[in-house]
Amino acid sequence: MKLTRRNFLAWAGIAATGAIACDLFDDELRVQSPALIPEDLVKGRDNWYATYDGSVPGGEGVLVRVMEGRAKKVRGNPRFPTNQGKQSAASDALLQSLYHPDRIAGPMLRNGPRGSGRYRPISWEEALNRFNAAVEDRGNGMLLITEDRKCSFAKICGAFAETFGGRHVAFGGAADDTAYRAAVKDVMGTDSLPFHDIANAHALASFGSDFLSTWGNPTAYSVAYGKFRSHADVGDRGRHYHFGSRYSMTAANADKWIPINPGSEGYAAMAVAWAVASTHPESSAVAQITGEAGPGALSEFIPDALVDVLGIPDEVLDGYSIREFFENLAHDYMAHGGLAIGGGGEAGAYSNGQFNASAVLILNHILGNVGEKGGLLPDPGSPISDTPTAAPVASLADWQRIAGDINSGAAPLVIIHNANPVYGLPPSIGLEGALGNEGVVVISASQFLDETSAMADLLLPDRAALEDWGDDLPDPMPGYHLYAVQQPVVNPLADLDPRSFPDVLLNAAATLGRGDSMPAENYEAMIRSNVEEILGADLNDTLMYGGWWNENVTGRAATPPEGTLARIARNASPANIVGSGNFHLQPYEHHTVRDGRNAHLPWAQSAPDPLTTVTWQTWVDINEKQGRDELGLREGDVVNITTGAGSIQALVYLNPGTPPGIAAVPMGGGRTLGSSYATDRDARESSNVMSILEPVVVDGSGGLAWSSNRCSITPTGDSMAVSKLEGDYTSREVGEHPAEQVYKSVSAEGGHGH
Amino acid sequence: MPNAEFPHKWGMVIDLDKCTGCQACVIACQAENNIPINTKDYFLQRRAYEWIRIERYWEGEYPNIKARFMPVLCQHCENAPCEPVCPVFATYHNEEGLNVQVYNRCVGTRYCINNCPYQVRMFNYWHPNWPARLENQLNPDVTVRTRGITEKCTFCVQRLRRGEIEVEARGGQRLSDERITGGNYDPACVQACPTNALVFGDLEDQDTSIKPYFDDVNAHPGHGEHDRETRGYRLLEEMNTRPSVIYLKKIDQYPLKGGH
Repeated sequence: MKLTRRNFLAWAGIAATGAIACDLFDDELRVQSPALIPEDLVKGRDNWYATYDGSVPGGEGVLVRVMEGRAKKVRGNPRFPTNQGKQSAASDALLQSLYHPDRIAGPMLRNGPRGSGRYRPISWEEALNRFNAAVEDRGNGMLLITEDRKCSFAKICGAFAETFGGRHVAFGGAADDTAYRAAVKDVMGTDSLPFHDIANAHALASFGSDFLSTWGNPTAYSVAYGKFRSHADVGDRGRHYHFGSRYSMTAANADKWIPINPGSEGYAAMAVAWAVASTHPESSAVAQITGEAGPGALSEFIPDALVDVLGIPDEVLDGYSIREFFENLAHDYMAHGGLAIGGGGEAGAYSNGQFNASAVLILNHILGNVGEKGGLLPDPGSPISDTPTAAPVASLADWQRIAGDINSGAAPLVIIHNANPVYGLPPSIGLEGALGNEGVVVISASQFLDETSAMADLLLPDRAALEDWGDDLPDPMPGYHLYAVQQPVVNPLADLDPRSFPDVLLNAAATLGRGDSMPAENYEAMIRSNVEEILGADLNDTLMYGGWWNENVTGRAATPPEGTLARIARNASPANIVGSGNFHLQPYEHHTVRDGRNAHLPWAQSAPDPLTTVTWQTWVDINEKQGRDELGLREGDVVNITTGAGSIQALVYLNPGTPPGIAAVPMGGGRTLGSSYATDRDARESSNVMSILEPVVVDGSGGLAWSSNRCSITPTGDSMAVSKLEGDYTSREVGEHPAEQVYKSVSAEGGHGH
Repeated sequence: MPNAEFPHKWGMVIDLDKCTGCQACVIACQAENNIPINTKDYFLQRRAYEWIRIERYWEGEYPNIKARFMPVLCQHCENAPCEPVCPVFATYHNEEGLNVQVYNRCVGTRYCINNCPYQVRMFNYWHPNWPARLENQLNPDVTVRTRGITEKCTFCVQRLRRGEIEVEARGGQRLSDERITGGNYDPACVQACPTNALVFGDLEDQDTSIKPYFDDVNAHPGHGEHDRETRGYRLLEEMNTRPSVIYLKKIDQYPLKGGH
């Protein structure tokens, strides 16, 4: 048939009609098939192992996802009693610690000056021979300095040091909590910390401590805080008041922040105690603690008499007198089940730190909540016999003696494990100089080089937490017996040859013929023995759960001995703030980098600070108005922060929440040796605030009162860009819109805010 | 692939009264989704990768001051402004209500980034780079995105797919709230959030805990906020993007005097 135009159109029409009739178009015209992305096609089997992260405050039970021998993700263990399936940013970063590019790969011997960080690799055989020889020759008087780990680790270290005539001391970190621990021992009679049952409390007052960020067990307390806020829609939402001199993360989350003078937390707690006692004298708890004196036992703490001590701005009193304000708080407390939290951390960092902590603890006794639901749950003690529930943390005076012992030759050998006191202690202690003494042999076992391990003659690579055994008695426990177990979930990579430090100690003792004095043949056997012989549990079950716990063994709520309140009241004294200058220098633990121990972890450095959103840098929080109007400062200006002990530089962050006269500086910057993530920084934007502290001591406990310095702030005329998330660059924030259009609130009475 | 037997419409509720700003969600997301290390320079150039970020707003001034924390992630809008502007269909809405980014299709025009009112889409200005050992941590379920393309929150679709395979296809059971959480199929941010400020669920599941909030907000669209029984609202609701994320207002026990 000849193809004419007419024929072509006819056939085309027939074909199109046929196609429609046969429903071809539906399929043929769907040119965009559903797209498959790789995430749609997940394959492979993953295994989840329960273990424990003892490196974060309070410890967290975690599950680790492992695929083909590699750890892929850390998450909270839902069964674990404290963190209940949740994890902090630092626990996620266990992976970065495990696969960190700057890990020490094998044993090394110093081949440069002390502190230079220059080493050459040696074999494990040579390293152990040197280690054993040093212990044999110099063990008498040796110092074994470790991080503040407890349980089997501390037991092995203690036994090793004692066996060879030395002693074991722990470094609790720059922001150690010795004042709070001493107060707990004094008021509650326990070595370990009590747990705050925030989840079941209805009115919460916190005193200084940043318990949602770095103090106590922030993840467990945050889980509880979520429950505390849970009943919002049924009118039973918990209320939170925070007394503190810094606008911390905890202060920012409180319903009401009550700014007070630095170091007056104890007075604030005693004023609340007075208000409770005077408004509720009929309470049996009040009567029991105040004794015959009744509310008069607290007469020195009537709020009217503390106006200057506390320094509460009138604007936050809501039109009430200061006495009425405290009485209202007391009514709320007594009507709804009150809990007082804190006294440690920042509140304990003053000469009167132990008073501050004791006052908060005794307030809970006056509230009658100790051992009660929604109250303060005492430590139940150790479920493992002869095992310390607290690490042997050295006080500031101890460190001064330690430096002296090293200098004098009384401590001829120093073995250090995962502790960095050279960085974390004030330089005036002289530890760096002492460790630089050529007469002492220094051996370090750690995963990374730092300012202290760089003083070592011999470096031993340590296993990461995910490669090693371990156990712990979490501190605080959740009010009942809890024993956490850490197990190796992956093997070290082929290019790394680390060994477990407790096993190094146990092997050395055995090689030197002193194995009988040690508590076990190896680390794993010791943990197995704890679980199977002491707890009577099955090891596999314990490993699957990440630990062992018994809710029936709770802490004993003992009433403090008579006269405790009077003694605490007698010990009340204002904080001794040293130095001169217009500002109070308030160091604080960085939310993720903490006191510098996580400075090598990129996720810790790059997580924006919750309040300022600054990353990677050291900044100083200065009140926005004061900084701008009085000092002429702008954000990013480089200033000198000078105390009687020295000077550092930091970038200005004009913070509308910081009280005037406060210069708040996060810890953790200014690392000089170790991972490039921690050290590769300009001194103008990375500095160590601990290096300019005068060695003020906490009365009683002897710890470092790290918030007791005044300082001056002087501009250098220089400025740098601040590396932060917030900003006026509109493509990175919904904030280009008015805040009220984005962030909405409603008043508790039911009326809408904005 | 999604199982037709169990249709889904994923959604999230974020309770601003519970968010403490702790950053656990931010780092959990970066660990799960192979997000490159945000160096200082990335922040200085305002190009840090954060699929979920905590925005912090200041209200008032000392001493009556409030810092407000708000997690912001891809809102997985039903009327997503990013979708129609993509010239190569790299971003589209899938049958489970997810706003999906197909990396292999993306040619990097960044039109979607310009059109997103929530600023939650990131452009890869650099090749992703991890030091050799850190590569061992990368999640094999998640693509490592190359330079020149756009990426964003996926509601951890790889976890949802695992759940659909393991619970629905193999087990024949719907992914309920309990099974999602119990099986670790929640998005990483939700799983990590210590205060449970972030809650995830399936709006096709009549029993999900998040459904009442969506029903309430949907029943009072636009500016009918005051009629709502819950504290729910959608971010920038006036734009009618219909996000799959509902925020619950912060409760102010002590509202700032003369506040907004």
